Amino acid sequence: MYSVFLWRKGFRKDDRVNYLLLLAAFVLHTTAMLKRGFSINSCPVNNLYEATLFIVWAIAAAYLILGLFQRFRFLGAFASHVLFFIGVFALMPALDAPPSASPNTLGTLTSLHAALILLAIGSFGLSAIAALMFLTEEHDLKFHKLRAIFSLLPPIQRLERVMNGLLLWGIFLFTAGLAVCPFLLKQKYGVWFKSDPLLDYSIFIWLFYLGLIISRWKFGQGGRRFAWSTMLSFAFILLTFWGFILLSQVHHP
Amino acid sequence: MNIIVIGLSHHTSPVELRERFAFAESKIPAALAQLRASGVAAEAVILSTCNRVEIYAATPLPPAKAFSELTDFLVRTGGAAFAPSAETVYTLAGPQSLRHLFKVACGLDSMVLGETEILGQLKSAYELARHHQHTGAKLNKAFQRAFHVAKHVRTHTNIQRGSVSVASVAVELAEKIFSSLAERPVLVIGAGDTSGKVVRALFSRGVKNIIVTSRTPENAEALAKEFNGRAIPFDDWAAGFDKIDIAISSTASPHPVLDRAKLEPLMKLRKHRSLLLIDIAVPRDIDPAVNFLENVYLYNIDDLQAIADDYLKLRKEEIAQCERIIDEKIKPLIEPAKAQAPTDDGALRVARSARNPS
Repeated sequence: MYSVFLWRKGFRKDDRVNYLLLLAAFVLHTTAMLKRGFSINSCPVNNLYEATLFIVWAIAAAYLILGLFQRFRFLGAFASHVLFFIGVFALMPALDAPPSASPNTLGTLTSLHAALILLAIGSFGLSAIAALMFLTEEHDLKFHKLRAIFSLLPPIQRLERVMNGLLLWGIFLFTAGLAVCPFLLKQKYGVWFKSDPLLDYSIFIWLFYLGLIISRWKFGQGGRRFAWSTMLSFAFILLTFWGFILLSQVHHP
Repeated sequence: MNIIVIGLSHHTSPVELRERFAFAESKIPAALAQLRASGVAAEAVILSTCNRVEIYAATPLPPAKAFSELTDFLVRTGGAAFAPSAETVYTLAGPQSLRHLFKVACGLDSMVLGETEILGQLKSAYELARHHQHTGAKLNKAFQRAFHVAKHVRTHTNIQRGSVSVASVAVELAEKIFSSLAERPVLVIGAGDTSGKVVRALFSRGVKNIIVTSRTPENAEALAKEFNGRAIPFDDWAAGFDKIDIAISSTASPHPVLDRAKLEPLMKLRKHRSLLLIDIAVPRDIDPAVNFLENVYLYNIDDLQAIADDYLKLRKEEIAQCERIIDEKIKPLIEPAKAQAPTDDGALRVARSARNPS
């Protein structure tokens, strides 16, 4: 809530309160993770809920280190929103599944698939943050707000390049993650392709992002429309991914 | 030993007067040596810039006597035929002199509030004096502290941020849109005075590709020549507009030279790359409706002036915070002095030169 006020104020150096609030949250989060880790006698990254919260913890840690430099402290105004929304995503029903009785030994391919997909979603997420920065600054420039030049945000052209680059990386990683699926299905079910809600959903997401990039290349779509598309696509993933995980037979046999 | 300062600045005297008392850098070491040899100062630093001429000294003399001798010194070494009047010269002693030094270092006493150039000039002046061994414990401590405070103020306040002229606001806007200005082609439509200033500001930030067009070809040629650009006929400016990233318009045309209908197809040709339009003409050259186009950023003279005014207002608001920092940081320097010489009234008095112009 506090960082919402920072948006009105513009992104300046003096958002110390926001930094301290995030630091306090980080301390509590670390304590909770430690307690959970000790209670299950292992690192708390056994299901999607824990993995998501681990990502939140890592992002917060990265911000707190960057925030030691005053010039980067304004990023907290963006980080707090992203952390909040990913945190809400982690609380969606059934993501915190109890660990199975037998030890879960992930095969190399499964680990590779999970890592590539998570990294791709991370790339899309960072691209969405760049898009949010772009839209904020673009709005300020369009409406001649003083904070457009007073803020510490980078130039919009650079933000657009970052947005585009991260999206490309995301698509590359997502493609690689999806390319592993047939081998996993063959290993587990003896088929190269099996219709599954999560797989169909993933293909849809892949096609959507590909379309976004192609429309940018082919039709010169850029600026505000591209930023909105990038941000809304990621919001869509955050809001729907968990639902398709629950529906998936392959992931929850 | 008191730290005192005597000087003239843009606040108190016009340039015609300041230049009479200015010191050439090559002559400063000799002037400092002379000052110390006369016994008026045990330590001294001379700061001579286009906006101020100041002598900082640690003196064993009572302030009033020291000021009188320093005024004579200024007249003598400056070669001026007369002494500066009480209104044009300021003399400060004790805490006020330190406070003044800190304010100068922080840019609070500058013509452009918060500018940082003065800090570099002050450092050079101090280094010159220190190099020739004209500074000692008193001035070393005071100047080092002043540099530290200037850095602190720059980091913890927004005093030096923002531009207070229309031209520099335009440049800052361009820097918020484009990653690098060096490769950005700039089109100047109408070669007026203000557009010249904006181009000068852009040129100083690395813009290389400048195209000028004007209804008076000679003006276009002259402005283009100044910035190694090229002049094009006025009727041809729209032809290469798809390659332009920044356009500055300042024609005397009574009707808009660029409107939405004209720009829309050009934006398609540009593949929707960002375009900054600076309209400094009155009446306006660019139809305000173009700002509704995506990736187009239009600023007219009032928009730029409003930002410059806001900046200035913001800087003025920061002064109180800067002065609080200075008060806080000055304490360690004042308190030991107070403890050592609690009855030295002269050290706390702000004096004005008693001499009148001859």
